[in-house]
Amino acid sequence: MVKPAVLPFAQALDDHPATLSEMVTSGRKALGYFCHYTPVELIHACGFIPVRISGGPGRLEKATNLVPDFICPYMKRGLERALEGDYRFLSGIVQGYSCDAACGVTNIWADNIQGELFHILPLPYEDSADSRHYLLAEFQHLINKLSDLGGNYTDLTLSHSLEIYNRIRNHILHFYQLRHQGKLPLTAKELWLVVQAGFVSPPETYLNLLDRLDAELDNLPPLSRNGAPILISGSVIESPDILEFLENRGGRIVADDLCSGMRSAATSTSMSGSPMENLMDRHFKRFPCPTRSRAEDRFPLIHQLIEQSGAKGVVFMFQKFCTPHLSDFPFLSGQLKAIHIPSVVIELDEMSQSDEQTGTRLEGLFEIIQD
Amino acid sequence: MEKTRKSNKRLQTAKALSQVVAEYYQECLAAKKTGKPVGWMPPMNGAIEIFYAMDLQPVFPENWSPVCAAFGLTPGNFEISEGMGYSRDLCGYLRNIIGYINGPISDDTFPLGGLPEPDIILSPGGGCVPVMKIFHALERRFPDARVLTSDLPQVAVEDIQEHHIDYAVAQIHRLIEFLTHTTGHKLDPDRLAEVVRLSDQACALWDEIMGFRKVIPAPFSAAEMGIMFVMVTRQGTRTAVDFLGQVLAEVKERAANGIGVIEDEKIRLFWDNIPLWYNMGVFNYVEKMNGVVVAETYSAAWSLRLDTVNPIRALALKSLMSYPLVSCVSIKKRREMVIKACREYQIDGVILHRNKSCVPITLGQMDIKKELEQTLDIPSVIIDADHMDDRNFSTAQFQTRMDAFMETLHERKTARNT
Repeated sequence: MVKPAVLPFAQALDDHPATLSEMVTSGRKALGYFCHYTPVELIHACGFIPVRISGGPGRLEKATNLVPDFICPYMKRGLERALEGDYRFLSGIVQGYSCDAACGVTNIWADNIQGELFHILPLPYEDSADSRHYLLAEFQHLINKLSDLGGNYTDLTLSHSLEIYNRIRNHILHFYQLRHQGKLPLTAKELWLVVQAGFVSPPETYLNLLDRLDAELDNLPPLSRNGAPILISGSVIESPDILEFLENRGGRIVADDLCSGMRSAATSTSMSGSPMENLMDRHFKRFPCPTRSRAEDRFPLIHQLIEQSGAKGVVFMFQKFCTPHLSDFPFLSGQLKAIHIPSVVIELDEMSQSDEQTGTRLEGLFEIIQD
Repeated sequence: MEKTRKSNKRLQTAKALSQVVAEYYQECLAAKKTGKPVGWMPPMNGAIEIFYAMDLQPVFPENWSPVCAAFGLTPGNFEISEGMGYSRDLCGYLRNIIGYINGPISDDTFPLGGLPEPDIILSPGGGCVPVMKIFHALERRFPDARVLTSDLPQVAVEDIQEHHIDYAVAQIHRLIEFLTHTTGHKLDPDRLAEVVRLSDQACALWDEIMGFRKVIPAPFSAAEMGIMFVMVTRQGTRTAVDFLGQVLAEVKERAANGIGVIEDEKIRLFWDNIPLWYNMGVFNYVEKMNGVVVAETYSAAWSLRLDTVNPIRALALKSLMSYPLVSCVSIKKRREMVIKACREYQIDGVILHRNKSCVPITLGQMDIKKELEQTLDIPSVIIDADHMDDRNFSTAQFQTRMDAFMETLHERKTARNT
């Protein structure tokens, strides 16, 4: 059961295929993306609805004819759902290059599922005058493609979009801050619902929901502070079951470093320059993902999250076969060990993972923390 | 058939390759001893030509992995990296090189003398994620090396725009500036022009050599693909041009005299994805069934000609195109390339290596399979394996699938000829 204050988010999540299909029927267009390195503000500024593709737990049938087993369940299930017709409301995909699998699946999607625009955005890795000059050209190239699709871009529309997304992110970051302080009256599952709803809702609608929730937070009963305080690190968590499972086994999630969680909101966009400069600035200054950064650059930020939240242990929740995260794990776990923070890895497959073996490993971690 | 096996080679010049390989690694070690700066870098980009032009020593850790596989040394390296916490689901190149740099790199008795430690690391942003992560691990292991993080747009070949090229050109200039500042070596534009000319000459020779495989019977097969070594490590040098010139002469002669890989070539095959470096013998397996692997996707990465009039731009384009062309970044272009090759090389069947160690090349194979069937009516078979880790390769499964596939191809051929 989730609190009534969170129900509108659960509803938005459940209803999004129907809601978006209806909007598309009435003339709007929606574009999908896998990774939040995609500049959703730009898509929105052109008049389209950016929608994060999700896979969710479930079986694979059609996708196995197109992709190998050894890519992450998120990609496989996303493709499976598209092949089943769940993403008919999308006019295509705009994908900021993050991992190789996302690039490949986007291209395979383009070959096998109808759409008007499939664009992979080759984003720069380094921040320099040259790379900003390049990124500006790349954004302009995307704007041209979006215009061909019927989009109407102006600096003013981008400014408006940046402002909306900033307000959204500020709300989310506020929730995370409260969680770090032990003051967020939402369970891990509830916060997951709140955040995920934003990936599939028109931002204006979502912002209204967030405004209302934020206003209600003070009236909600506080959560119990029992359980081993844990930070979760990984990419995409597609089902809240694993979070509930973790909390039922004696953990208490106090912070996360997740692509489908805090990382999607951090950081806010500076509004000090031109709209395009502000958009570029966010690209270079955002909380980094392992697909585009060194583990050395990520560890201090994870450490900071641990200190801010009082986490005593880390659960790495990786999508199975996730190269970027698996590659960084040896370094990160070693660094955590050096500061006496124990960690454990859970790999998520298509059906998610909440078996007895996982439970035992989690309980082992929680016991160490609470000793 | 054994799980690990070297291939039987027919070309005399391919046999001479071992000398070329040994000399390259001797040169790398000698560079370190004499104080010539050694830089570790990923392959398939224009940095190699810049290094040779600036009299610096390029070393390719990714290419070292096939060498380790050929010497049967990967299990030891895997044990080290997996012991450090690197998952078996990660690319075999990554696990091998991380194991090597954290283990036997200091062992002087390692085959070919091993690799010299880097003074410079070119750490890529761009290319595939495992290669980027390999270089992050190198930076960690060799903290005294000077690091340049290079940046390259991951863009499909057919989508390359002028701003992508401009950025790649800016990155080449950045590399030159970094190397000049770090090593004190200056870039002589005339020397660069000469290196790029040699590099282009090597590509032209490569194309010509590969072109002779269109002849029936094919003068050599994928079993000889070790010759690619010079394209990876020696591009821009006289060594590559001379060696490929010898290969060409021999291949031309074999073709002129109708000397094939086997006496009675009946089935012509195409191989997609990286070979099994620990078992190049799989290419010989089909020979007993009158089959020859006459073309492959991977060799196309070295076919890019360079505009010698504008060396920097040529290197920028090479850097932009090489990796996308053979990976999922340019599935469309890659598919077109496979279809074209299958037509030109009169391919009867395609072997799709579903490579656990390489997601970027494996993704898109099923679309290629579909296109082959629909456009050319060419059947294909999927082989589940791994280019580095023989634990992900089943000899029995390979043989069973290949036997059945070859039988089908023979039946089709007989039916068509009657």
